[in-house]
Parts: sequence; structure tokens; C-alpha cells
Amino acid sequence: MIYEIRHVTTYSYESPVSYARCSLRLQPNSSAGQQLVSHSVDIKPLPAARAMRTDFFGTPTESVLIETPHRVLRIDSRSRVYVERFAPGRGDDSPAWESVREASFDSNDLSGASPIGYVFASPLVPIIDAVTDYAAVSFTEGRGILAGAVDLMHRIRTEFKYDPKATVISTPLQEVLDKRHGVCQDFAHIMIAGMRGLGLPAAYVSGYLRTIPPEGKERLQGADATHAWVSVWCGEELGWIGFDPTNDILVENDHIVLAIGRDFSDVSPVDGVIVGARKQKLAVAVDVLLLE
Amino acid sequence: MTGQAGQGKKPRPGHRKVAQWTRDYERLPGISDEFIAQDGTPREVWTRFFEAFGGLAPAEIERRFGSADRHLREAGVTYRAPGEIADRIWPLSHVPLLIDESEWQQISAAVTQRAGLLEKILGDLYGDACLIASGALPAAAIAGSSEYLRAMRGVKPPGGRYLNVYAADLGRGPDGRWWVLGDRTQAPSGMGYALENRLVLSRAFTDLYKSMNVERVAPFFEAFRDSLRASADRDEPRVGLLSPGPFSETYFEHATLARYLGFLLVEGDDLAVSGDRVHIRTVAGLKRLDVLLRRVDANSLDPLELDASSQLGVPGLIDVVRKNGVVVANMPGSGVMEARALLGFLPSLSQKLLGEPLKMPHIATWWCGQKSAREEVLARLDDFAIEGAYGGAVPGFPGYSPVLPSQLSPDERERLKAAISNRGVDYVGQELVQLSTTPVWDNGRLAPRPFVLRVFAAGTPDGWTIMPGGFCRIADQPDARAVSMGAGARAADVWVVADKAVPASTLLPAVDNVRIRRIAGWVPSRAADNLFWLGRYLERAESTLRLIRALSVPQRDPGKGGATALQSIERIHRMLMTWGATSLTSRSQPAKVAAQALQSEQQFGSALSLVRSALRTATSLRERLSPDAWQVITEMAERLAHEVEDDDDVVSAAELTLQELASFAGLAQENMNRAAGWRFLEMGRRAERAINTTRFARQFACDEATSDDLDILLTLVDCQITYRSRYLVGPLLAPVRDLVVLDPYNPRSVAFQVSALNDHIASLPALKENGLMERPQRLAVALRSSLVTGEASEIHTKSLFALEQDLLTLADSIGLHYFPHGASASRPEKLTGLA
Repeated sequence: MIYEIRHVTTYSYESPVSYARCSLRLQPNSSAGQQLVSHSVDIKPLPAARAMRTDFFGTPTESVLIETPHRVLRIDSRSRVYVERFAPGRGDDSPAWESVREASFDSNDLSGASPIGYVFASPLVPIIDAVTDYAAVSFTEGRGILAGAVDLMHRIRTEFKYDPKATVISTPLQEVLDKRHGVCQDFAHIMIAGMRGLGLPAAYVSGYLRTIPPEGKERLQGADATHAWVSVWCGEELGWIGFDPTNDILVENDHIVLAIGRDFSDVSPVDGVIVGARKQKLAVAVDVLLLE
Repeated sequence: MTGQAGQGKKPRPGHRKVAQWTRDYERLPGISDEFIAQDGTPREVWTRFFEAFGGLAPAEIERRFGSADRHLREAGVTYRAPGEIADRIWPLSHVPLLIDESEWQQISAAVTQRAGLLEKILGDLYGDACLIASGALPAAAIAGSSEYLRAMRGVKPPGGRYLNVYAADLGRGPDGRWWVLGDRTQAPSGMGYALENRLVLSRAFTDLYKSMNVERVAPFFEAFRDSLRASADRDEPRVGLLSPGPFSETYFEHATLARYLGFLLVEGDDLAVSGDRVHIRTVAGLKRLDVLLRRVDANSLDPLELDASSQLGVPGLIDVVRKNGVVVANMPGSGVMEARALLGFLPSLSQKLLGEPLKMPHIATWWCGQKSAREEVLARLDDFAIEGAYGGAVPGFPGYSPVLPSQLSPDERERLKAAISNRGVDYVGQELVQLSTTPVWDNGRLAPRPFVLRVFAAGTPDGWTIMPGGFCRIADQPDARAVSMGAGARAADVWVVADKAVPASTLLPAVDNVRIRRIAGWVPSRAADNLFWLGRYLERAESTLRLIRALSVPQRDPGKGGATALQSIERIHRMLMTWGATSLTSRSQPAKVAAQALQSEQQFGSALSLVRSALRTATSLRERLSPDAWQVITEMAERLAHEVEDDDDVVSAAELTLQELASFAGLAQENMNRAAGWRFLEMGRRAERAINTTRFARQFACDEATSDDLDILLTLVDCQITYRSRYLVGPLLAPVRDLVVLDPYNPRSVAFQVSALNDHIASLPALKENGLMERPQRLAVALRSSLVTGEASEIHTKSLFALEQDLLTLADSIGLHYFPHGASASRPEKLTGLA
């Protein structure tokens, strides 16, 4: 499938911003199951400098420096991506979760693709006993990693309420667990924290969902903004498999991966520091069209 | 050791005392001690030391201890315990830790080896990670550390090394050998305190220090400084010491080191990234910074790429490191080597990378990320102390102390076992060890106390240099596993005692003294800002004190004044009210008003509050103020806080403080380097004095002023003598106005201040290159012309008011022009929201 994606980020400030230094992670990666066809980013005002590099996690990251005073920063990203991915069945066989844990502890790879990078607490995902206990219910002794993760994903989908007004980026995990509501980012963080508490490798994925569902199917939650889900390492053979706890589905051809990291702080599509704004307002518009 | 008495010599006076001290010394069973060796006899260096020491009369010993304590207090050697706001005076043990040269050589060789090993491992981990791929080191032992900075993977350290400074915490094991207790690779603290400890103790015991052949530490600091400078890629590099700021627990040490090494003391706000370089904001604009010695943890260095909530860093710094634009010492990410999970792998890594065994053992450590180690720890749980595998707290357990399983409740024990089973990677089991002891002086006798010795290594182009000495922390409890400088601990100097005299070139006692270097280049904007305000606070305090004195003096002299004097007193009272020095209404007794204006803590304009504001400002300028100047300010603040009894006390307190202010001004005038910020202190003082003097003149030389008013004005501006020598009549309006406002020869006149301001501004660099006069200079020149050409007959209350406004505008424009990034400036903030 080929998708055309338009992702426009607009920051409006109360007073003029004289200086901005940003990191953009807006270029979808060519990786397992998807291929980047074309990509461009327009920035207003015009930056003084732009430089591209690939970060530790393999994400193309653009550093942008803006020195023109401005009240509005508009970042207009367009991408065309070819997706062809196969997800395992929900009931497929997989290795016992305990053996996956041991295999990741014994990893001899320190790169961004290694499972060991996703076992530990990270800036936005602490390991909390209560969350670990919640996840442990799905991982009974000797259960397959796939079955356990599917069960955990399903429980999050059914036991938590999707509520875009309930949380902000800084809502602590404990609060999300207590109140049982949040958005895709919170559900991803809960699933990641629970699995890591058990010693299992789970990564945070940012990306897009197709906006208009296939005929006869329901529109997915989170399709009008950037989306977030979880990638779980299911042992050497199965490798990384995507779980979308917001929609209770395994990631296949409706998802386009933007960036993978330990949590949101590693993949934030637009990140930066500015000088001068007293108040800022953010608007994000995402449109994902299926071309063929 | 008592054999010497039998040799026919007269026993030395200290001899008997040493025998007594030795007998009374209660060594702790099963624990190594520095004074008394394993076989029960005192070590030779200690005997030599205590015999010399014992030769001093008890009163003399106390006198020397007192002098050491006094020096610490006067020099303001302080630290802050975690969670406390007030600084504590540095608690120095009066007995140094003594180590003889042959033993030191072993320590030195072992620390050198370890530093080299850790440097090599870091190079591999952030490079192609062969050690991981080959299985010599599990990836999990690294990946779990928050100090493993993914952003630094594949980045070559600018300057060529990861570790510019390394420290090892050592203790003596039960077998009498030295052991490594921990590695410090992030930003080891203690070097500056070691320097102060040496300074204090070598002064208090000059003769002993000389006769004991103590190795000097100064050459180490020189090597360290020179190596950092040499790591830059240009000839005359600018080196900064990055501090978290005055709220850091060890800010004093940052200031000491910066001053001693001749580095600029900077905070994150002082720096800016521009182009592919880091710059420091100075009064002359942005200046390139080449090397940054950091005392800020790596994760706080850059809010853009690392901890987003950090306010201590510089946005974009990591990208500059990536582009080889600045040397950061130690390289961000070096802290990963502090992880305890690594300890168990070091012996084999030493063989693999260096081809030799480790020269010094460390505490036996089982990392539970490996199945076999985990099973052993779970099987013999009570034999271990459980620690976090990557430093810091034990995950899931409160506080920072190790968890001793034998002391847990059954429930907690099960919780620990489950945690280790699920996430073994997070835990290590360490062999239970007790720290070895060293003697402290405790009420006339010696007592053993546990200690930790921190030894420092500096990476130089010619290999590692070890500081002969170190930073020794001593616990106050006989039983201790870890010592931090929290409540109860004290520090000790460390003397490495040579068999022969140490090289003559370093024998001079002055070698270890603080060497004040000229701080090169332009003053950082923040420092200039602080100096400017220090000048203003002190001058405002002086004016307030003069008002207080004027308010109090006539009360003691009933012969003077009368109905008219009452009016003058009301004017003084009103001024104190508008300045926020008093809240009492006009019908209050002048004595009460004076007392409140002198030392009310609630009044922001009281003399006490102003001096405290000056002290707070001076705290951020520690590396730029001489110890004398610092001492004057601290004493002033302390003394003003003592409650006064009566009117006389108010006057004498005001007068004493005025004298102290004058001595501070004298010190600044005579001792402060003209290149390094003195101008800003002076400008603050001149601007404030000009404003205050104009305000005095507006009040007491207004169009309706009485001769009492004029008399008070002459006293307030210290011009009684000048006036009387010039005019034979009593105070008259025009002559007084001329003397106070226009007279260019009177160092207290407004014109004199404005002229001085003009000179200072003219000597400062222009920030723009268009050749036009900049705003502060335009205002200053215009003011000077009007004062130079002015005549006393043209002065009225109204024109004085206008003059005061112009002066305020000038002071503000100086702030805006030279300190645009000062405290009031807008700081960088993060973009927020789920973009």
C-alpha cells in the first residue's frame, strides 16, 4: 500500500520568539515492512541552518535553527510511504516470556535495535510496582510472549477509557493507572512500563494511522493526529512485533512508523527550545490518504 | 617502639604521650586501622607524627586547632548538606591521614592502572563496542545505566579522551590491603576541598608539615590545568568550570577550583551555542569557549537532547560536542563507568585490554543480570548487601543506603527476592565489608573512626598524574559503610610522607597557597550584573545607615534643634519609609524607627536586608572576591543581625557598619583586578551614590530647606568639614547645592559620580560596530555636560527631581546594555505539547 501523509505542526506565541532550536523527527524510516518514497519539510519562518543526521535509534533527525523573530512557527511535512507488513495471528505460538527475558539480558548488542535498550526505565516510563503487578496478570508462568502481550493489550483497551482531554504530556503513569483513562501515548506507556517491570523489552513507536478505514471497518482511534503504539521483542526468531493497545490490534498495514525509541521523549516529532514566548499554543493536523 | 628510651638518649617529650595515646587507642576488632597495623604496633609514619605532635603543650595543640578552625571560618570554606539551605562550615579533622611513600606508590600505580582501563573501556563502548559483541561485557551491564548516553554513541571525544579526571574511593580491607570501594568518572568532587584542607593544615602545623616531608599537591593541579588547556584546539584557550550555581552542595569548591586554576566559573545561562561552537556571554558580547570542566551531571547538560527539564545546561551543547566544537571534561557519558554492574567484569577486562591483572582488588560484587550470579545471591541472600546495579538507590526500596536482607521483614524479603528474580539486571549483591579506621582527635585522646580515601588522577598528554594526597572523609559513627559529607562526617587532609626531603623547589610553604591568577578576558555578563548590584546594595546600605545615624544623633544632643529640627527628622523618617527601611508611621519615636531601619528582617530596605542582599549577590561571585573582602561582608551581615539594646547601640552599630563598608570599598579599590569586573562594582556604587545624593539634595536642599535641613544634608553626604573650610557662614542653600551636586572636586558630589561613570563606560567595549555612541554613553555624556555647565543658582527642587530621573534611566540602560542575559532576561523554554 502507498500512503500520502501530510503532517502540519503550528506553534503560535503570545510574544515574538527571537530564537528557536528544534529537532524534527518527521521523516518516516525505511525499515522492516515499509519503504519511504518521498519526503519534504517546509518551515516558516525560513531557518538560518538545517542539518540532517541519524540518531541512535536510527531515526532521521533534523536540527533546525531559527533566528528570525516570529510569532508563528509552521512546520509542514509531506511524506509518501509504501507499506507491506505481515503480523502474526493473535493466537500464534511463541516462546515462553521468561525465556525472552533471559535472552534479552544476555544480549551482546548495544545498538538501537538491541532488545536490551528497552528493558530499563526511561525518562517518561518509570518502573512502578503497581503497573508491573497489573501487567503480571497477563504473564502467567510459561505463557508465550505473544499470548501474554496480546492479553495485556486487550485488557488495556477494555479497562481504560480513551479520553483526549484527560491527560497532558506530563501526566504521571501512576495517575493514568489510577484513573484508567488517557490517550494513545498513555496506553503505550502503561503497556511498556508493565512489560519492562517484568524484565521484557518494549519500545515506544510514534507514527500515523490511515484516516479513512477500509470499507465496512470502523475508523480507528487517533487517526487525525500522530499516533503511538508499542513494539515488543518476542525473541530472536519473531523479532519486534507491533501492538496497538489503543485499538487492540496487532500492527499491520494501517500503521506507518515514524520513529522508535524508549518512550515519547526519544521520538517526539517536533522538539525544541525557544526564547521569548510568554505563552505558546500548539495545533497539529494529520492527514493520511491511501493512494493505492 | 619504646626501644629508643633504652638507647641512653633523653626521651623526647612527645614520647610518653604517644605511648599513652597508643595504649588508650581502642582499635575495632577485625577491622584494619591506619595508626596501628595488623600486628598491633603503630605504623612508623604515625609514630613520627605523634611524637612531634605530642611535643606540643596541650594548650599549644588547642591553639593550633583553633587557628585551623578560624581559617576555615574566615575563608568561608563551606558545604551544604542535602536538603539544607544554610551553608555549613567545613568540618576538618585536625589529624591528617598519613600514608608512607612506599605504600603510596602501590596506591598510585593501582589508580593509574584503573584509570587507564576505564578510559579504554569507554572508548570501546562509545565506539564499535567490540567488548559487547565478543561477550566480554554483557550489553545489559551498560544499557541499564542512565549515564550511558545514547546520543554520544559514535562521537569521538573532542580533545581525545573520555576521562580528564578520575577518582577512586579506597579503603583498607580486613587483610590490610587497600581496596577500591567505588569509581568516580562523571565529575568527581573533593579536589577543591582537598586543596583547602591542605592549605589550612599546613598553616596550622607549618613546622610539622615541613619536617614530615609531605608531598606537595600543587604540581598535580598545575598538570591538570595545563592538560585541560592543551586539549583545546587553539593557543590561548578559554576554559570554563560549569557549575550548577550557588545552590549546589559544593558551590564553594567550584569557586575555589575556578579561582585556583584560573578558569571562568560559569553556569548554563552564561553560555550560548552559536554556529558550531559554545560561547560565553560577556560584557563585550559572545566569546568562544574552548574547554568546559563540568560539575553538572551529563544528563542535565542539554535540555534539547538530554533531560528536557534541566535548567542547568546549554541547549545545543551536545550537538557542538558531536561536531568537535568544544572539549567537555569529563566527556558526557563517562559516568557509565560508575555502575556497580561492571565491577565483576573488570578483572578479566584488565587481562584482555592491558594484559595484566588488576593491581588493587575491589569489593566482591555479583551482578544479578547473569543467571549464575543471580542464583547465588538468592541462595545466600543474607551474606550480601544489595545495591543498585547502576548507582543511586536500590530500585523499589527507599533511600540511598544498601539493603541488608538480614534486616528485612519477611514480607520485604519476599518483595526483594521477587524483584531480583524479575529484574535481576537492576541489582548487585556485594560482599559485606566494613570500612577501615583512622585516628581522630577526640577530647585529648585518639579514637578510631571509619574513613574513605578519595584519590584523584588527571589525564595528561604524558599519561596519568596522581594527586599525592587526596580527599579523606571520616564518619562520626564507629560503624559505617558509606561516608558522605552529610551530618556528622568530617574531612581530613591526606599526607603522603616521603622518606627523603621532597624537592626543594616545592618546599616553600607558599607553594600550596591559593595562587590568584588574573582571570583573562572579558567579564561574563552574569558576573558583571552581580558586581553591579553588589555595588548598588552596599552603597544603598551606606546611605540608609547615614540616615539612621542622622535620625539618632540629635536625640542625644538636646541642645541642638528644636521645632525646626523636628521637621528635618520627619524628612529623614519619610525617606526611610519610601526606601522600605521602616513601616512605622510618622508619629513613632525616632529611636524605634532607627532600630527597625537598622535590623528589621521584614523590611526589604533595612540595613540588614540590604547587607544580606549584598551577601547573596557576593555568594555568586566567590571566585572573584578576595577572602578579605568576603570576610568583611559576612561579618557585617552577622553583626548587624545581633539585636541592639538601646539608642546608643543603634548609633554604634550603624557607625561600625559604615566603617566596615568603607573597608570593603578600600579593599575593592586597592585589591581588585581592574580587568576583571572592578569597573562594574564601581559603576554600581557610583550610580547608586549619584541617585541617593540627588535624592538627599531634593529632600534637604529643596527650595524651602531650613538651615537644619542643610546641616543634615552636609552630614549625610559627609561634607561638613569641606563646607566649613570653604565658607565661614552657616549652611546656605546655593553653596550647599553647589558642593553636593555640582562640585567636580568633591568625591561625594553628584557631578563626581557622573564623571566617574563616564570614564568607566568609555573604557568598556562597544557592542556594535557602526561607530555610533551607544545608549549608556549617550546618557552619561549628556548628564555630565549638564552638570559641568550647570550653576547652583539654576538648581531647584524640580530640576533635582529631573536629575534623579535621568540618573535612574542611566542605571537601567547600563543593565540593559551589558547584562541583557542577566537574571531578568527570558530564559530558553521548551516547546510543549504533543506535537
